[in-house]
Amino acid sequence: MSNDTPIPVTVLTGFLGAGKTTLLNRILSEQHGKKLAVIENEFGEVGVDNQLVIQSDEEIFEMNNGCICCSVRGDLIRILGRLMKRKDKLDGILIETTGLADPGPVAQTFFTDDEMRTRFRLDSIVTLVDAKHVVQHIDSSPEVKKQIGFADVIILNKTDLVTPAELSALESRVHKMNGAAKLHRTQNAAIDLQHVLNVGGFNLSRATELDPEFLAPDYPFEWAGAYLLPAGAHDLVIGHCDHGHEGHDHAHDHEGHTHHHHGNENELDIVIMPVKSLDEKDLAAAREAAVLVFADWENRVKPGESVTPGGTLHRLLLDHGHGHYPLTIAQPGHYLVFEGCGEEPLHIQVAGENVRPSWQEDYEHHHSHDDEVSSVGISTPGDLDGKRLNDWIGNLLKTKGGDIYRMKGVLAVKGSPNRLVFQGVHMLFDAKFDKPWGASPRTNTLVFIGKNLDRTALNEGFKACLA
Amino acid sequence: MNLAKHWAATLDDYVIDLGWSSDGSLLATASAAGPVSLFAADDGAKTATLPGHDDGTNCLTWHPSQPLLATGGQDGKVKFWDAPSAQHTASAELGGAWVEHLAWRSAGSTAQPSQSLLAAAAGRNLAVFNPDGSTRHAFPPAPKTISALAWQPAGGALAAAYFGGVCLWDADDFVVQKEFAYANGIHALVWSPDNRWLVSGNQDPSVHLWLPEQNDEFHMSGYESKVKELSFDRDSHWLATGGGRDACLWDCTGKGPEGREPTMLPHEAKVCAVAFQHTHGLLATASQDGTLHLWSPERKQPLRATVKMPAPATKLAWSPDDRLLAVGSEKGIVYVLKCEG
Repeated sequence: MSNDTPIPVTVLTGFLGAGKTTLLNRILSEQHGKKLAVIENEFGEVGVDNQLVIQSDEEIFEMNNGCICCSVRGDLIRILGRLMKRKDKLDGILIETTGLADPGPVAQTFFTDDEMRTRFRLDSIVTLVDAKHVVQHIDSSPEVKKQIGFADVIILNKTDLVTPAELSALESRVHKMNGAAKLHRTQNAAIDLQHVLNVGGFNLSRATELDPEFLAPDYPFEWAGAYLLPAGAHDLVIGHCDHGHEGHDHAHDHEGHTHHHHGNENELDIVIMPVKSLDEKDLAAAREAAVLVFADWENRVKPGESVTPGGTLHRLLLDHGHGHYPLTIAQPGHYLVFEGCGEEPLHIQVAGENVRPSWQEDYEHHHSHDDEVSSVGISTPGDLDGKRLNDWIGNLLKTKGGDIYRMKGVLAVKGSPNRLVFQGVHMLFDAKFDKPWGASPRTNTLVFIGKNLDRTALNEGFKACLA
Repeated sequence: MNLAKHWAATLDDYVIDLGWSSDGSLLATASAAGPVSLFAADDGAKTATLPGHDDGTNCLTWHPSQPLLATGGQDGKVKFWDAPSAQHTASAELGGAWVEHLAWRSAGSTAQPSQSLLAAAAGRNLAVFNPDGSTRHAFPPAPKTISALAWQPAGGALAAAYFGGVCLWDADDFVVQKEFAYANGIHALVWSPDNRWLVSGNQDPSVHLWLPEQNDEFHMSGYESKVKELSFDRDSHWLATGGGRDACLWDCTGKGPEGREPTMLPHEAKVCAVAFQHTHGLLATASQDGTLHLWSPERKQPLRATVKMPAPATKLAWSPDDRLLAVGSEKGIVYVLKCEG
């Protein structure tokens, strides 16, 4: 057999002017010892001698009545088919897409059939982002969102044209959209090519190289604060105080974007837990306990009715965002207050005076805006039931495949000593058993990137697959 | 029966296409890199090396009765070559896209040289050319890139396939005779010699058979992989296809293959080429492991001969008298085998 190892393919996406051609020329000149083919969509300025440059007109083949998950790039199938017909195999293929191209069909092309799967290896999707101008169209352009969402590598280019603050704001926004991609900052698309070529973005065994921060557990509450409270009858107050006390107002850094309250604005979920100390170990234990309580039935509390510390989920019924609730403390000590999604400030008053929290923490709130591209990471120890997992993924892709751009993961399946690695594009899905777990703890790590992702449903659905 | 090596030659690159001149005296071979070589059938002597196409040659085809060769390439051109003088006689352009498909209208019943037409497709563009390279007709662009061309053997119509269907163009006034919708990619087209069947090999993977005269069609699925290899025998009895580890034979007599079990001709790797003889009954099939089998479909023990080559075959072509089988390979070697016994 003449063509055993598949040819690596790198896809470059990004808006016109983001720097694709600059990067492409950089790759071609720095890799001049290699035989690369470039498939270009826009009349490019690729000007490197002795390289194979092929112009291509985007041609979408809708394999299944327009289902976006079944759309592939007919032009690429044809050109790649021709590029296979060589005595000496190519070292690599670069595909430069148009600024407005949907990366989905490009990626799906490599899953079209056995021949495509065995002859080529989609190494990564590299998205260039013009750090200066992307903010002008990131909100209005589904193409930009998709290109970011599909990427394995995101290059924030032209960083010299923005302030450090603008850059870090952009970086954090991009990271929220796609938590699995590697982010790089460049000027003039100057980047070490090892970050662009042969990065193994679609390599199953590298699928777990996810940002640990991104995989932070998902909490059902948004904020927690610790209060040192004496015994007695106090007050829990929601809403701005009438008197001019400086109080704790934990508006959770809501400035800058509209916070969509999910659910009734006149309801606020609260759990109050005693905590032994403010040591991280005790805080963590209380936090885990609160997660369970938040999953419990809520106890509806009208203004004026009292709330108690312990394993009860209180759903405070507010009156125009305000409410006073008597809080009786039997044992003096530290108490943690966990708050769900709330807009109004929360205070605890002892003898009419606001008590300052001695410790507090915000938790990422994950309600994505409609149509916003986001990532959902799940990290859970334990073994999965193979059949339930299969049913869940199958059903998920069938119903949500259009919205899920990418997914990657490494899973522990009950009964298998080896890691199950998987990755997918829309509905297309590849999974195989990889190396054994050995001494490392059997834990499941997976990430979904797409739009309209329901974090809670994904988490719950996944956890239901645990054996 | 035995397949013996008659001669072999080495090209500079992957053998992308090859074909015998109408009198069987010359074998034309195109390398993927571009050059086109002509070899004498008798002893394999190279009679000419034509430059072919700058960025690579894609296809070639001989005039049905004259020593005139047409080639198509990545330069977007169709080139015409006079074989005896090895002269480039004409070029035609088709809009810039790769010229990927060429087909001469066979002489058929109206065997007038002036009736000879070369159909060529590049991207969505389709045109027919006269032997002197002048354009006879340029068709309106197809909805998608044209993926296969086949003249009806009687010469009355040209079938052009694209993602989404097949269009039958009238060979005389160039109007649409019929359009057949097909909601997937088409890799190959073939007519049965009796003009009855038009068959496509598809991405989905399947073969689809149309009976254009009866407005009837059949769909044969169940293939392992996309079907790019199709060949009909001289009697329009057997349709041979690739599309998996076995070559597949459909009985197309009478009502056609629907409801009939195909005959499977086993290989140990994916079948990559199939070719029936022109006027005899042997079928040659090749697979990715370099194996070449020869079959007689009518026999109880159909396998007649086997040859193992160091590289997979890219193309198979029987000489007009069916005595020689030319095989192109991925490594650039052209084998000409003689069928003996």
